Amino acid sequence: MPSQTQADAILAPHAPGEEEASLLDILDHVLNAGIVLHGSLVISVAGVDLVYLGLNAVLTSVETALKHIEQQSLSS
Amino acid sequence: MKSKPRASNDRLLYLYGISATNPNVKVTASIHGSAAVECLENSGLTAWFSRVPDTEFGEKLAANMENLEWLSGASVRHQRAVSQISDLVTVLPARFGTVFKSEESLLQHVREQKGKLSATLARIEGTEEWGIKLFLNPSPPASPIEATSGHDYLRAKAMVQVKKRTELDPDVAEFARELQAIAADSAPAGKVSSGQSNLEWQASFLVRKKDRPKWDNMLKRYATRWADRREIQCTGPWPPYSFV
Repeated sequence: MPSQTQADAILAPHAPGEEEASLLDILDHVLNAGIVLHGSLVISVAGVDLVYLGLNAVLTSVETALKHIEQQSLSS
Repeated sequence: MKSKPRASNDRLLYLYGISATNPNVKVTASIHGSAAVECLENSGLTAWFSRVPDTEFGEKLAANMENLEWLSGASVRHQRAVSQISDLVTVLPARFGTVFKSEESLLQHVREQKGKLSATLARIEGTEEWGIKLFLNPSPPASPIEATSGHDYLRAKAMVQVKKRTELDPDVAEFARELQAIAADSAPAGKVSSGQSNLEWQASFLVRKKDRPKWDNMLKRYATRWADRREIQCTGPWPPYSFV
């Protein structure tokens, strides 16, 4: 039989604002349209697992960040 | 709206997002400590922001963004605040780390970008962002590569690995097409999590709230079909971070 458990599980997605949303998911979405970091980083998810990440990155000072916003804007 | 007294010199404005209306409801989560979330209205748009210290969000911001501990905490606080605002009103989320020096510079930005901001707000009205990830269930070890020499072995192994990376399973391609057919928009996802093991594919989707039943049914259909082979992870609803 197909796994009813999985089908049910994905239909009860957790609210991202709550504890269950993993840090990884939050970083993924919050940073998706924003900054990107250079280098290899280690992220501790829920204080337990270490996930090694190769991140491409853009590092901006406030000034260049503001310039960037002026040009590209918040709206695509 | 009448402007408040100019912020003291050690306060920058951290922008969460822009909305078309101001519901005048208090938002409790914020990017920094107990900083209040404030609203400024201009040109028919409302900017949501908090006053933050320039010691943390000024020149040090770039360095802080490299500091994973700081980045993690700030991302979570940013998400909580934007999410709360998003529950109240359609909000165009600002990029993480968007800081203005003064109310004047923030309002000037809003005025200058009014056309674009309004158009984007209209586009995201009534939508939510959902994240979809596919994980392959761990498969039994591949049959050993048969080779008569080390050279043959390495060549065969390289071919197996290349195949793994470049070919998207036709089932997944079909799944992606079906998701796109329901969604209002889609975007690549996973700058951060692309290193997760067994992750086969991922993307973000902008889904109209009214299409949620269709969306859920489709996911359920695939989850059932793929029960033995791969796991579908669906997160959301998120503010439309990837679509502004």
